[in-house]
Amino acid sequence: MTKPTAEDTCLIKKRSLANDYFAITLGPYSRVSQLRPGQFVHILMPGTDIMFRRAFSIASTKPEHKSFEILFKVFGRGTAKLGRLHKGDKLNVLGPLGNTFTWPRKGATCVMVAGGIGFPPLLFMAEQMVSKGYDPKSIHFFYGGRTSADILERTRLRKLGIRFHPVTEDGSYGAWGMVTEPVTEFIRDHGTKRLRLYGCGPEAMLRATNELALRLGAKGQLSLEAPMPCGVGICLGCVVPLTAGGHARVCVDGPVFDIGEVAL
Amino acid sequence: MKPDLRVTIAGVEFANPLMTASGCCGYGEELAGLFPLKRLGALVTKSITAKPRLGHPPPRTAEVPSGMLNAIGLANVGIDRFIAEKIPFLDKQDTRIIVNVAGSAIGEYVDICARLEDQPRVDMVELNISCPNVSEGGMEIGSSAAMTERTIKAVRKVFSRPIIAKLSPNVTSVVEIARAAEQGGADCLSLINSLVGTSVDIHTWRPRLTNNRGGLTGPGIKPIALAMVDAVYNATRVPIIGIGGISNVVDAIEFFLCGATALQVGTALFVHPDTPVRIVADLEDYLKQKKLSSITELVGKVRKY
Repeated sequence: MTKPTAEDTCLIKKRSLANDYFAITLGPYSRVSQLRPGQFVHILMPGTDIMFRRAFSIASTKPEHKSFEILFKVFGRGTAKLGRLHKGDKLNVLGPLGNTFTWPRKGATCVMVAGGIGFPPLLFMAEQMVSKGYDPKSIHFFYGGRTSADILERTRLRKLGIRFHPVTEDGSYGAWGMVTEPVTEFIRDHGTKRLRLYGCGPEAMLRATNELALRLGAKGQLSLEAPMPCGVGICLGCVVPLTAGGHARVCVDGPVFDIGEVAL
Repeated sequence: MKPDLRVTIAGVEFANPLMTASGCCGYGEELAGLFPLKRLGALVTKSITAKPRLGHPPPRTAEVPSGMLNAIGLANVGIDRFIAEKIPFLDKQDTRIIVNVAGSAIGEYVDICARLEDQPRVDMVELNISCPNVSEGGMEIGSSAAMTERTIKAVRKVFSRPIIAKLSPNVTSVVEIARAAEQGGADCLSLINSLVGTSVDIHTWRPRLTNNRGGLTGPGIKPIALAMVDAVYNATRVPIIGIGGISNVVDAIEFFLCGATALQVGTALFVHPDTPVRIVADLEDYLKQKKLSSITELVGKVRKY
């Protein structure tokens, strides 16, 4: 594992997506070429009233520009502050942090299950796979949200040429229902041989995905989220219980865990 | 001339007065990836208990204005694995090692310290008689002057190197407990541990920690810690290690002036892991600016009204 460092970066670009979602690009960042899908950075919030850093998964990198992108939804005080930043504002970034997804074998079917704002690491993974020569048609990107506005970066996903399966709880875009329903159907039809599942999203979605994968016998990994004071493994605030007993720290032992590994 | 940052506590010399606070740096392995540990005056380990402890179920930390609440619940590997797995790593670090010890009864403190007596790499022990997050022992001992004295006396019999007593702020009179610790044979006092507190989610009506309450740490507790360090400094003769919301050089200097000989940095490590290193550099600048030759010239020099 590479050792994390803290450094100041600048907000280079800010895009306002639908429904309080933002995409911001930060750079120059010296560690950009070391960032891998699944990993995250811990960002110091601007101002002095928020003490702890906030963790953000990497959504994409541009090593040629020494920049990386994060996506977030304004949810609490920290993200509200980030959403009000302007081009040129400085942010202190601690990273790279956490482990990474284990890539599927070429030729295997890759099932991605993204829910809400758990989407960025899977976007990063899908884009990297396509650029590394994986057949886009082997990537099935299931993306669930409450409503149409929660399904971000549709054009970007379509352009990748992957199989994009949007699902909304109110049926306003894509299939109607919970994302895990079409995923279950897909795995049943396809079979679990030569198939890898990758999930990231809210706790309920992860729990359902973990359960369906175990039930159907599908292998894969889930990326977890937890409130995380330090991000470097010293505070023990972000632990999750393991099925084999004991705790794991989401920040350094994860955030990516094998299906069945964590007692969700 | 370069100012002298060395401090001596109970005959043990420290390269500088900055230490990590127990529970905020594990056993040093992760921190070593962030800066060379030799830049610290000492590394203070997480509390070690006789048996391994998983700690409380999550959530066990919550951010609050100017600080955090934690109820980790003394999660640790236990003394056997500490000696087998962590001492070999600590052995290779060029810094002083202070092992924090917690127990649910006097006998547990004694057993663990007897084992540490055989580990020459351990420079000192710090007795956690002030953890607010376990139901038994811990603060129960540290909130009674008699129990504090008895615990330290018992450990004194099995541990020949310096003993630090870590004091709780959750008491009627910290001075009374400090005097009892000194009476029991403590070579040094460290204070303060965290303050009991809680926070409630107004939508779920649930406490934000599964333990229902936790220990408050961070910048918000600094004024309380300073007042207690000052009170204990004026009432005892043993050196004091100041703890409580230290995040920068200003905080550090305030603690020295109120009577601390050394300092521990805790919660600030979670925001800037290299906080102690920054404070050491800034202290040097401050001493130069004030034309002082040694950090010890600041200790207890607050000019009171």
